[in-house]
Amino acid sequence: MLNNYNGLAQPFWQNGPAPGQFYHFTGGQQQIQNLPRELTTAGPYGTQRNTARITTGSSVLGIRFDGGVMIAADTMVSYGSLSRYQSIDRVFKINEKILLGGGDDFADIQSIKRTIDQKMIADQCRADEIEMKPTELAMWLTRVLYNRRTRMNPLFIDVVVGGVNAEGKPFLGNVDLRGRFYEDFVVATGFARHLAIPLVRESKPAGREFTAEEASNLIRKCMEVLYYRDTRNTSKYTVGVCTPSGSVVEGPYKVDENWSFASTIKGY
Amino acid sequence: MSILAYNGGCVVAMRGKDCVAIATDHRFGVQAQTISTDFKKVFHIAPRMFLGLTGLQTDILTVRDRLMFRKNLYETRENREMAPKPFSAMLSSFLYEHRFGPYFIEPVVAGLDPHTLKPFICNMDLIGCPNEPVDFVVAGTCAEQLYGMCETLWRPDLEPDQLFEVIAQSMMNAFDRDAMSGWGATVYIIEKDKITERSLKTRMD
Amino acid sequence: MSNLGFQQFPEYQVPGVQQADFSPYESNGGSIVAIAGDDFVVIAADTRLSSGYNIHSRDQSKLFKLSDQTVLGSTGCWADTLSLTGLLKVRMQGYEHTHLRTMATDAVAQMLSITMYNRRFFPYYVSNILAGIDKDGKGVVYSYDPIGHCERAFYRAGGTAGTLLQPVLDNQIGHKNINLSSSELPKLTIERAVAIASDTFISAAERDIYTGDSVLINIITKDGIEEKKLQLRLD
Repeated sequence: MLNNYNGLAQPFWQNGPAPGQFYHFTGGQQQIQNLPRELTTAGPYGTQRNTARITTGSSVLGIRFDGGVMIAADTMVSYGSLSRYQSIDRVFKINEKILLGGGDDFADIQSIKRTIDQKMIADQCRADEIEMKPTELAMWLTRVLYNRRTRMNPLFIDVVVGGVNAEGKPFLGNVDLRGRFYEDFVVATGFARHLAIPLVRESKPAGREFTAEEASNLIRKCMEVLYYRDTRNTSKYTVGVCTPSGSVVEGPYKVDENWSFASTIKGY
Repeated sequence: MSILAYNGGCVVAMRGKDCVAIATDHRFGVQAQTISTDFKKVFHIAPRMFLGLTGLQTDILTVRDRLMFRKNLYETRENREMAPKPFSAMLSSFLYEHRFGPYFIEPVVAGLDPHTLKPFICNMDLIGCPNEPVDFVVAGTCAEQLYGMCETLWRPDLEPDQLFEVIAQSMMNAFDRDAMSGWGATVYIIEKDKITERSLKTRMD
Repeated sequence: MSNLGFQQFPEYQVPGVQQADFSPYESNGGSIVAIAGDDFVVIAADTRLSSGYNIHSRDQSKLFKLSDQTVLGSTGCWADTLSLTGLLKVRMQGYEHTHLRTMATDAVAQMLSITMYNRRFFPYYVSNILAGIDKDGKGVVYSYDPIGHCERAFYRAGGTAGTLLQPVLDNQIGHKNINLSSSELPKLTIERAVAIASDTFISAAERDIYTGDSVLINIITKDGIEEKKLQLRLD
């Protein structure tokens, strides 16, 4: 680029820049990505395997309130654009202190859920009257997911973890497929990130938490909006509620449909 | 690397109280290699109007020449001076004519309206999307640094000497953090009755 | 290709088969500014956690207290930040247990560099700035690149608005391009450092969409760490 003889110039080192040019660090776009080693087999044919998401759940919405958390998700699990499974609970009670809402690839959710359930059995077998807390589960998930992404073999999941910690302190967080974790009073996955989070943030009273009633009203409203506007949503949804007195998954509830506004929508 | 950053360079313009300022660096390079340190990217195109062009040097010269042709044609036909506002509109449509094969430049216009003497600043992207803010406009390889500096130092109703200080400090500290701009700078302060040109001595590395 | 008598698959990617393009990295935004004085150091970071046009959280601290004298500011890929700071916490604790004292700021700085370089060929995608009080009681700032290059400085800006803020610090703290004698220059006090750090964040919030919501400011002196919070624009 720099000089007309530059194309002929030898690079400074193997794969390095020619004199006068810039060095491109690895990790850029040009790098060819190999399949992670555990997904390949030695031999002349190599391996072909699909590593993309197949059956997916859409939104999960979690809201923290003064006495606990609520997590809601509709019951749809899609296969591409096909409404493949229409009544699958995606909000799970993990124990009396933890709720888990699973979004993205449902097979990966089921896989991680099996591991978590096994951990809960191990936890109970200790019989030490210490129950796992949501923060602990969330941190464990970040480590599992981060290690999988570092091996370039991620679990395609986006989960909402909620519950109550020691002294009945409500907890609500999100862990994604890269191991990114954060806590907030409202967390969501899928379309709810775009449609529900603004609605909930808008109604947050300054200086205090939501009450249980406000939270459940917001969940009801948001699930209705999501049903209207997210094609991969169904009208049925389940809600998990976790308070210091325990956790339950309720429902399925039905969205209170009202399509009378539909005739006013035109022009696109 | 973007072709807009092939030759390096930067321009910034600011509004003051009844005055405007525009500044340019002096570097002309080819990627990391500096070719010349006296290439000013700001052109005095009317008594109270300056045009700054950053980007690909060959296009800077071409666009300047083509714009001067169009401006001279306008002034001959209309028999009056072209004000910054219509000049910017012309520049915008000129650039959009080349929407799918653009000139790789980012222009900045600064001046006073010949009749009302109202300050005017404007910049565009390479296909002519105009932006006429009240405070300042930046262009070039250290645009981000310039945004940081100008956003911190600029305030409304600066007098000409204060405006000079603000634009000079913005320019110098911004391009000292950019390898592709710098090597000296020139500031022009445009007031209704005079134009002040000042050269800035800066670090040459 | 056909040295074995049949067509071999290339070692990566087979034509016609779509490989899910998974990027292990994600930019979650955020900016840090650190300014060191004679006997104090100020470090500030915004609290916005975002990716693309989504704001995940408006109240996520990016400052990590490593000891009573050392605070790390870390932005970039949040998953990497969590991983790295988790590892640092373990190492700080390990040092404390084996040597029965807290790691000094200079030692933390060196450890951070080595920890980052450990992942030279799959780096932590983070912009780190470490602020603390050194062995002589002086304020000090260390800045890093993603693969562990470490530089000691007096002031530094990093993160998504780092390019906007660094020249401002050069000018206001480093007094670059100012032709005044040192007696005429304003003295760097805690108040001035906090004011400049706050101002730079107000400017950054105007122009960088990944910086905003609020700024957390930690003022580290030999007596401990004082925390301050400043509201920024929320859009």
